[in-house]
Amino acid sequence: MRNYLITTLVSTVVAVGMIGAARAEINVVTWGGAYAVSQQKAYGDTWKGEKINWINYNGGLGEIRTQVESGAVTWDVVDVLPAQARTGCDEGLFEPLDRSMFVPAPDGTPMDEDTMNKVPNNCVAPNIFWSYLAFYEEGTFKGEQPSTIADFFDVEKFPGKRGIHAWPNALIEMALLADGVPIDRIYEVMRTGTGIDRAFAKLDQIKDHAVFWSAGSKPIELVKSGETSMALAYNGRVGAAILNEGEKLVPIWDGQVLEEEWWVVVKGSPNAEAAKKFLVHASAPQQQATQAKWINYGPMRKSALTLIEANEPWHNSGVNIMPYMPNREEVLARSIFADPAWWADYGGEISERYTSWMSQ
Amino acid sequence: MPTSPAKPGGPLLTADGTPLKTSLERSLKLSKLRALGLIFPPLLFLLILFVIPIGSLLTRSIDDSLSNKVLPKTLAAFERWDKTSEPDESMFEAVYLDMKAADKLDLSKLGTRMNYEKSGWRSLIKITTRGLKRIDGPPYKPAMLHLNKRWGDIEFWQSLGAMKDPVTLGYYLKAVDLKYDGNKDIMKVNKHNRIYRMLWWRTFLVSMIVTIGCLILAYPVAHLLATLPLRLSNLLMICVLMPFWTSLLVRIVSWMVMLQQNGVVNDSLVSLGVLDDGNRLPMMYNFTGTVIVMTQILLPFMILPIYSVMKTIPPSYMKAAQNLGATPARAFIRVYMPQTIPGIGAGCLLVFIVAIGYYITPELVGGKDGRLIGNLIAHHMQNSLNWGLASAMGTILLVAILTLYWVYDKLVGVDNMKMG
Repeated sequence: MRNYLITTLVSTVVAVGMIGAARAEINVVTWGGAYAVSQQKAYGDTWKGEKINWINYNGGLGEIRTQVESGAVTWDVVDVLPAQARTGCDEGLFEPLDRSMFVPAPDGTPMDEDTMNKVPNNCVAPNIFWSYLAFYEEGTFKGEQPSTIADFFDVEKFPGKRGIHAWPNALIEMALLADGVPIDRIYEVMRTGTGIDRAFAKLDQIKDHAVFWSAGSKPIELVKSGETSMALAYNGRVGAAILNEGEKLVPIWDGQVLEEEWWVVVKGSPNAEAAKKFLVHASAPQQQATQAKWINYGPMRKSALTLIEANEPWHNSGVNIMPYMPNREEVLARSIFADPAWWADYGGEISERYTSWMSQ
Repeated sequence: MPTSPAKPGGPLLTADGTPLKTSLERSLKLSKLRALGLIFPPLLFLLILFVIPIGSLLTRSIDDSLSNKVLPKTLAAFERWDKTSEPDESMFEAVYLDMKAADKLDLSKLGTRMNYEKSGWRSLIKITTRGLKRIDGPPYKPAMLHLNKRWGDIEFWQSLGAMKDPVTLGYYLKAVDLKYDGNKDIMKVNKHNRIYRMLWWRTFLVSMIVTIGCLILAYPVAHLLATLPLRLSNLLMICVLMPFWTSLLVRIVSWMVMLQQNGVVNDSLVSLGVLDDGNRLPMMYNFTGTVIVMTQILLPFMILPIYSVMKTIPPSYMKAAQNLGATPARAFIRVYMPQTIPGIGAGCLLVFIVAIGYYITPELVGGKDGRLIGNLIAHHMQNSLNWGLASAMGTILLVAILTLYWVYDKLVGVDNMKMG
């Protein structure tokens, strides 16, 4: 009996001690799949410091908030979406990062001026751009081929079902663009009540033809199996299918919605210093460019894009990667940069409306 | 151990002369303490994993103290206001002073909180926080209107009414598509944003259909299991348990392969000529898909309790009933079935309770109209970070299950329930 109690006590103390002890390793939390692999190759394999543990998660700030509030922080570095990058910093869930430690561009431009989007706060380090992109399989349509986002919404001209995601982000923007709103006035229209009604009216046109997905691998399957004739997907998934699997998929770059992806350090991380050093490494132009060897997500830093362009063919398969980059110059005029500030204000309300719309 | 002779009339004594009663009490106390020591780890486990989280769930679902902490003057000014006229200088002054004095972190948390009541508060608070230092003194009204014209929008001011008390039922109202207006009267939310009642109803409906489906499928299987010779029934039992041991994701993905538009079932029906190629059945990524997959996944939870009860029913009862002149069907209905009720009750309760909180399956196969309330709770925990609302929905779910258990106890009696 006494032995039992003592053993319990001792093992508890040891376990707690082990959790509490400072680790000489960095826990980097990111999304799974080919994306995580590209990060491991570009940032992990080139890193000379502490051992890195790569952990997968499904996004959101729930876990981070729990760790910070309970004081038991086990995650050091996290790869976050634009909305979370802002809310998390506002709520004090991330460590502020000293901007002077980051590597400037080769021409001396400081990092924060080298990014394609304005840096929203001093908690984040640049990572990549990705996009919601429409695509179809070669040979699906006879005669004229779809080439604009308006074609995606036109089920008469291009029959078949449409694979769209089960949340409203990017869809509101695309619907308005397809409905003829000039690309630079989209958020202005979205700030008016009637703008949202207009977007939903446009979405109504494809509602009976919509198949909703929530896992990123799904849209490729939907199009390949012929269940839908077109779908929206993360651009990296479409690129991977073409570049790595040799699929005959055709991206419709018109009306793609670009989203940011940032790096942050969790507040109270036991290895904050090492984690910050790792981010300095990962956000340097050379590493940013290296990532694009493995996946077609666009580096956030302009100098990294310049580096890729100058050294094509850049992709590991020996092809030029620039034609697959979501943030390359040629497609920017018809791309929408998602506005996280709008989504922070209206995202909750629009999600509810979208859920209700989806299931009616 | 020899006991000392008792004095006549005196208390019984042990060998060392202490009264037997005291000695007994002492040894009982020791063994009680020892027993307590033994259950201490599980007790601690229960406390840490159940009591504390459920307690914090309940507090979070009604806590609204942040607005009172950060905006005391503003809320006082709000009380004096008639809720319809244009806000005057004193109200702007109160907001300015509150925001000036507030902790920056609290302010941005409050912005998130206020945004639940009226979309746009988050950025309004953010812009104002940043611009405060540019305001150098009264009058505050024009200065704040200059910072952002939304300060002139009366709807923002009215939404303060829902946040004025430190304890709120607002999250519970929200969980059933209601909200407070500026006077704290309860009203319905905008018709485009009504989703929760529909989801509660759908969750209930899916759980109901799944439970009934499981019962219909499980009863014959359990009967077969209980009556077959041991060698065969063991084999069948492995067939029942095999999917139970298989990873949930594997099972879900196999169903996707079977049921999707171009899946095995649709392909077979088309090639048999039952279906036209253009009219393939939508059986996946909708309500039907959720019901089918959940029924299969929860089936063992129904089979096992029913089986274990059937196993205890002596076959002689059925024979006796038939000897007494009952037809096999009558004997089955009148004699066999009533004895299986404890198993049916346990199975149904188990399946229904597991189904009502189901989350992964509906997330993966739910698609258009097969997502349940559990998915929304997860969304609010992970993405929108509205933990108050998630807690309120969790609490409602918990209360619903406890009520169900209570009703079951009244109708069938929990003592009657047999898990095996």
